[in-house]
Amino acid sequence: MGNEAIGRGIIQAGCSVAAAYPGTPSSEVMESLVRWKRELLHPIYLEWSINEKVAFETAYGASLSGARSAAAMKMVGLNVASDALMSAAYLGVRGGLVVVVADDPGPHSSQTEQDTRFFAWFAKVPVLDPGTPAEAMQMAIKAFDLSEKYQVPVILRPCLRVCHARQDVSLSTPREVVDVGPFKKNWTRWAAIPRYRLVLHQELNEKLAKMRKEESEACPVLVEGNHDNVLALITSGSVSSHVRDIVSSDELLNRVDVYKVDLPFPADTEALQEIVDRYEKTLIIEETYPVLELQVTDRRKVLGRLSGHVPQHGELTPELVENLIHESLGQKPMAGRAPSVKPRRPSLCAGCPHRSAFYLIKNVFDKAIYTGDIGCYTLGINMGAVDTCLCMGASIGMAGGFSKAPLSRGESPVVATIGDSTFYHAGVPALINAVHTRSPFVLVIMDNNTTAMTGGQPTPADNFLADGSPGTAVDMERLVKGCGVDFLEVVDPYDFEALKDSLLKAKSYTIDNNLGVSVVIARRPCVQSPSVKLSSERFQVGHKCDLCMTCIRDLQCPAIIFLKDEKRVQIDVDLCAGCGFCFQMCPSQSIEPRGV
Amino acid sequence: MFELILCGRGGQGIVFLTRQIGQLVTDMGLHVLSSETHGMAVRGGSINSHLRIGPFYSSLVRYGHADFILSLDSTETANNIHYLKPDGIVVENSSLPEELGTRRIDATSIAKGLGRIQLENVVLLGFATTMNGFPVSSEAMMVHLKKDPREYVRKMNILALEAGIKTAS
Repeated sequence: MGNEAIGRGIIQAGCSVAAAYPGTPSSEVMESLVRWKRELLHPIYLEWSINEKVAFETAYGASLSGARSAAAMKMVGLNVASDALMSAAYLGVRGGLVVVVADDPGPHSSQTEQDTRFFAWFAKVPVLDPGTPAEAMQMAIKAFDLSEKYQVPVILRPCLRVCHARQDVSLSTPREVVDVGPFKKNWTRWAAIPRYRLVLHQELNEKLAKMRKEESEACPVLVEGNHDNVLALITSGSVSSHVRDIVSSDELLNRVDVYKVDLPFPADTEALQEIVDRYEKTLIIEETYPVLELQVTDRRKVLGRLSGHVPQHGELTPELVENLIHESLGQKPMAGRAPSVKPRRPSLCAGCPHRSAFYLIKNVFDKAIYTGDIGCYTLGINMGAVDTCLCMGASIGMAGGFSKAPLSRGESPVVATIGDSTFYHAGVPALINAVHTRSPFVLVIMDNNTTAMTGGQPTPADNFLADGSPGTAVDMERLVKGCGVDFLEVVDPYDFEALKDSLLKAKSYTIDNNLGVSVVIARRPCVQSPSVKLSSERFQVGHKCDLCMTCIRDLQCPAIIFLKDEKRVQIDVDLCAGCGFCFQMCPSQSIEPRGV
Repeated sequence: MFELILCGRGGQGIVFLTRQIGQLVTDMGLHVLSSETHGMAVRGGSINSHLRIGPFYSSLVRYGHADFILSLDSTETANNIHYLKPDGIVVENSSLPEELGTRRIDATSIAKGLGRIQLENVVLLGFATTMNGFPVSSEAMMVHLKKDPREYVRKMNILALEAGIKTAS
């Protein structure tokens, strides 16, 4: 897998500290580092950090101390780490520092389609853009060399189609761990005040100018064609792979010369302009923003996003790319269109403890405003228990705003839901803020003891680190209390009466008596967690069922099915996880345990 | 050159199948690229995988280029049928009778018969390996699955593969 290849590249480059926060499509980078560490008995230090900013800072500290270091995250994670990155670009690095940032054009599993190459330009940090897993491994190694040579952080930007592609890749022996020597104190550099920042900014500009001219990766390379055709096509990254396959497999397209740029920022702008000037027309195909296109000064002969020829949003799939090339040549589009598909919408697993929690939240708070957050539990939208989803931690911050806006207050109580990992990541400062400002909302922390959506990575509540070595568990109750919260209850979301009781108490505390924020921790491990032993108990729908449809409409468990033809509700024993919540919630008490 | 689409619902074991075929083909010394779905869609949503054998750079199959579609869910077949080339073959988990261009096996029932519905993916795989033009043979896949170090998983997968192969004959 692309992410595993990147992990391998990081190890082969002699890196000795790596930190990450999970997020699709980047999560497997750290997981593969764990694997290579174990298999090769490599000395690298690995951590799942509390968030991307801390991951970057950990890697940055290690770099200043002389080690080659890496941080890995998804592109919206870079937003969180951006404060540190922008400043680190000026200060520079010592040991090579590589930031792996995975982009998600589509978007398939993200809030935005932002282009990290554009971010790199904004931060004035070089960015490498691999087209295949094999290339991603080589570029990971190259990124460390560039970073050390120019003393700047370097971003490696794989797109989802590289991260989650699998390919046969040949491995080589890792080099010894690199150390550029101990940290030397120099406050004008490492703690620079604004006056010195000006000097550092100038230095950074000089580094980028040198890189643009001297590094071969900055220059567009002819990968298909003969320098002599009617149409030039400039491309980079994962979409370049679609371009190459299409151009090389289609005789109608043999009049196209394809140029690929591996370092889209800082690209060799003179070389780009030279190509554009030499051809009748130049088509630029890149994801997702016009980064190469904007680096061409005279764009009169350029077909791209700015000229309206390439769509401004959405993933550039092979079919789209094929049509774009044909259209640029004045030919009819060849590729067919997909039929209007009805993709199945994702849902919480059978037995998911979030489902029962959402059910009761809806039951108790009814028409409240529900601010949600990032994780599996975003799927509470299916149950009408999530109204907003902005970014990591925003459920709590936004709940504060909802509860303070004078016009919306009164009628609608506000309930925020957030997962455990997301709470640690970005929820804690927002909760302190809510306590301090006496914001009247109820917060339910859906604690399933893992980072479930991304595949079950550990959280700060675990007493072990990414590679299994010992860590100190940070107790969530103490943390919540430490934020200044007075009302806190911890309850099992499978326990109908207990959770309902806690939510009612929280409602009375916060809404009826206006005593400020209250917190309920709904705690039960994720059903997907390997350590969870599912109950073998099974349930069935008995004769008393009056077809009230509460289970179908409000609970939405995938194991409970309404058979339209027979007009009855059935529980699929193969899908059922035996949680027994439907047994407790059924209004007509017609769900009963089933004899084995 | 060979191109394959695998589709189904999240949790049915599409990624597992893709990896098994990909690893086996790699062990055979061929160049292979595949693409998987992760994240939100895995929670019961529609998922598909692409697998391409040959001198490719991209991991995605173009519309009208797939030699085979392996489908674990008949409603998902419709969501992916545009990938199939005109003379391509659909291999589908369904209790309906077969028709021209579509081979069917009731992998769900067979897997339930083996005691684990989760084996439906391997049953379908066994059935597919018997077909002309499929890139891996039944024998090679059997040898490959026998390499799994987890004893229980190995045993159950072999039973499921055999059941799929037997249904074809």
